[in-house]
Amino acid sequence: MPADRRAGLLPGVDRAALAVALADRLRRRGVPVGFTATEDFVRGLEVSPPDSVSDLYWTARITFVRRHTELEAFDAVFAAVFGGVVTALDPNARRRRVPEPGGDDAFAPVPAPSAEVEGGGGLPWVTLPPVTAEAETAFTAQAVPERLPSDVEGLADVPFEQLDERAAEVLGEWLRAAVAAWPTRRSRRTATGPRGRRVSVRATAERSRRTGWEPFHLVRERPVDKPRRVVMLCDVSQSMQAQAAAYLHMMRALALVAGAEVFAFATSLTRLTPALTHRSAAVAVEQATEKVADRFGGTRIAANVHALLASHHGAKLRGAIVIIGSDGWDSDDPESLAAGMARLRRRAHRVIWMNPRASAPGFEPTVAGMAAALPYCDRLLPADTFRSLRQVIDEVSRIR
Amino acid sequence: MGDRVVGDTADIRRRLDEVGYLVDEGTASALFLALSLGRPLLLEGEPGVGKTTAAKALARALDTPLIRLQCYEGLTVGEALYEWNHQRQLLAIRLAESRQDRLRDADLFTAEFLQERPILRAVRHDGPVPPVLLIDEIDRADDEFEALLFEFLGESAITIPELGTFTAKRPPIVVLTSNRSRDLHDALRRRCLYHWIDFPSPERTVEILRRSVPAANEPLIRSAAEFVGRVRGYDLDKAPGMAEAIDWVSALSALGATELVREDVVRTLSAVAKTPDDRETITGALDQLVGGARGATA
Repeated sequence: MPADRRAGLLPGVDRAALAVALADRLRRRGVPVGFTATEDFVRGLEVSPPDSVSDLYWTARITFVRRHTELEAFDAVFAAVFGGVVTALDPNARRRRVPEPGGDDAFAPVPAPSAEVEGGGGLPWVTLPPVTAEAETAFTAQAVPERLPSDVEGLADVPFEQLDERAAEVLGEWLRAAVAAWPTRRSRRTATGPRGRRVSVRATAERSRRTGWEPFHLVRERPVDKPRRVVMLCDVSQSMQAQAAAYLHMMRALALVAGAEVFAFATSLTRLTPALTHRSAAVAVEQATEKVADRFGGTRIAANVHALLASHHGAKLRGAIVIIGSDGWDSDDPESLAAGMARLRRRAHRVIWMNPRASAPGFEPTVAGMAAALPYCDRLLPADTFRSLRQVIDEVSRIR
Repeated sequence: MGDRVVGDTADIRRRLDEVGYLVDEGTASALFLALSLGRPLLLEGEPGVGKTTAAKALARALDTPLIRLQCYEGLTVGEALYEWNHQRQLLAIRLAESRQDRLRDADLFTAEFLQERPILRAVRHDGPVPPVLLIDEIDRADDEFEALLFEFLGESAITIPELGTFTAKRPPIVVLTSNRSRDLHDALRRRCLYHWIDFPSPERTVEILRRSVPAANEPLIRSAAEFVGRVRGYDLDKAPGMAEAIDWVSALSALGATELVREDVVRTLSAVAKTPDDRETITGALDQLVGGARGATA
């Protein structure tokens, strides 16, 4: 903080105007400042008139900021306004994206594949290969797109490399429908129900009001089952380029239906849960793509497993089903990966590894990273088509 | 608030200092604003930075009772707010029957049959200074529980359908803590002031250790503080917080150590390293850690 430039800081300043202006600036930098917070700030200035910039800083920070992740943006705005320092504006600062009209994903038209190479307007992560083998896809040129279940079933067996963006979205929706019978855990919350074992005194007393305070009906209660938490880690490095978009759709399906925590990694770890839970699949995937800064870089599986364990999201791994989607090509030390996986295994309920190469005939997990991680995985499953992704989901739903 | 409990930030800092809790400027401002605006305060930070202790110290500094609610999954109205004493109600019904009285709802749902739980106790507290209500580790409760708190956090009031609304004469001082094992709902955050407590700086760590472990001597405290600061830089399952540092220095001084020696560190390592992996990591790096610490103090 620079030295106090304003004598007695803020003499005769309209506090309300100051608060509103500051709140507005913060909002523009993506800090969601509500009216309550603005009012708090004004009252804070009243009860402790700031003597120094640092006083003002703490009053503003405590009243305006509501979560740890907003601190950085707040500090930048505060420094720009009161520090006399003009920080360079972040060019990527939360560009506003306009959602596409009509977010109804399930019935969106699927363009017929053209013979030409599609432009760069598709998923930024995937450079779509030219679709040459039309016979393999279920679409015919010029056709009115049909949304028959058999279409989806047929598409599900097409390798990821040959799917276009819209087909992937449709299949994403198909996966979402599959995440239904999800494994549960018994929670400590109870609900009344006829199958309960314990008598709920509160509910029984309530019911006895109808019978002249005679506890005639015994109301029973039982523990509520809650869906088991799922954490999915997805490799988006160079070697996983073809699978990345499909895995994003799977992560979105899990995040939306099963409340999963999802992360992508190549050289560093990115949490994608907020980005991927957008209503529209296209916007969600676009947001997620934009968030991952290091896509198609090298792979550091071990470092990222360690990073996840050390972060505050590491607590979410406890008792969770952890799904890792990667081919196991790791530039880190295999021993380090083994140590990380051992720690992960101790925290998690089940660890499942999806490997896009595992379906190839004669596949053996000989890649150093894969071999190191395998002893700590409950299952190694192939994941090269949407059908195999669905089989992964089916496998998970069998876990008890 | 009409009657001010504390004067200003410096005042609360001094009073916390008197009860043996050293705060930095940020935490002092947060506590002061929470007190003078009458708003709940949400404290977040790594485990062991003194979130719970802050609330305890605040209660001692203001000389007011601390009411504590430990959160866990499945926490309901019955454990957090109030519960009707159904057994006594049933007895009262039997008694009325034997006397051939007719009972009405109003006879059974009176304050007499009401069991206070922490939050209602805080609301109904009668005293010159409002009590400190510590809602500890709110992230461990499920999100259904957060919704229960909204009326109380917003208006310092609790509505009991059968009896009416209780509003606190003086809003209790509410401190919520969270370890971020779960994302709290925006509606809860909106109702609270927020403060992120960082690990204390090395100088502050030394001061805190000096205060908490008076038996330990100065070189030991200095090198231990530095050691703990360095250990946090390693990749650990559970980085040692302030609580671990205090435990460790107490352990070292109980063993009669006057400076950081390798053998003593190994013997007392269980106070700092809380998993076998961490133990291994720290033991492996012990030469740099102890050597560096000694070099710095020499």
